[in-house]
Amino acid sequence: MLTVLFAIVAALAATSGLGVILNRRPLYAALSLVVNMLALAVLFLILSAQFLAAAQIIVYAGAVMVLFVFVIALLNPRREERPLRGDAQVVAALGVGALFILLSAVGLFASRGFTTFSAHAGAGLGSIQGFGNVLYRDFGFPFEATSLLLVVAAVGAVYLSRGR
Amino acid sequence: MPPLNAFVFLSAFMFVTGTVGVLLRRNPLIVFMSIELMLNSANLALVAFSRFHDSAEGQVFALIVIAVAASEVVVGLALMVAIFKSGRALDIDGLSELRG
Repeated sequence: MLTVLFAIVAALAATSGLGVILNRRPLYAALSLVVNMLALAVLFLILSAQFLAAAQIIVYAGAVMVLFVFVIALLNPRREERPLRGDAQVVAALGVGALFILLSAVGLFASRGFTTFSAHAGAGLGSIQGFGNVLYRDFGFPFEATSLLLVVAAVGAVYLSRGR
Repeated sequence: MPPLNAFVFLSAFMFVTGTVGVLLRRNPLIVFMSIELMLNSANLALVAFSRFHDSAEGQVFALIVIAVAASEVVVGLALMVAIFKSGRALDIDGLSELRG
């Protein structure tokens, strides 16, 4: 049951990821990225990370993608004549990409067989209680550093886009 | 439950997709979306291993990655708007002042 759901959602995530880089128009690429992030939220649910699935939908599919779509609509870039870089770089990038996918497939599936999960997740894994315990007890400093980072990013964005 | 290998392979596939997008496309907006794709694939691997080891630490890492990605997008898009306001085309090959 979960395996069937995983197969469907993984196919959706892979194809929408390809859609991000293959669409000519930035708006369609952004909508592909929304589908990709929603598929990832479902995968987080399969992996019993409920809080993170909610955060993924709220932060990524909500805030970040709205910002992307807003900027795309604001800049309204012209239809590109040449959406790709030089020919040599295209060939090299596709070759290296295919090579790495092949290598990871061989490394992950051919060498040691399958690694299965335990049937049930530990109690409280992914719940807000379990997550908050680890976040605030063991990772207090990274949490505070993240808040500082967000303030710096907000100030930097205002500075960069202010009128002159 | 699908095996761990499947999750990690999907993560690797998405990461390579994002890398190829960064190398291939000239539009900086799409390059940013490809970077988001790579960060997301790292999150998937972190959460999969967190479930495998039954420990919430990977999920905390993933939350911090989400926050870093959000701030990176904010600064990057502000840069795009500033470049656009200065009247130049949004083209990776045209923006080469920082070339070493």
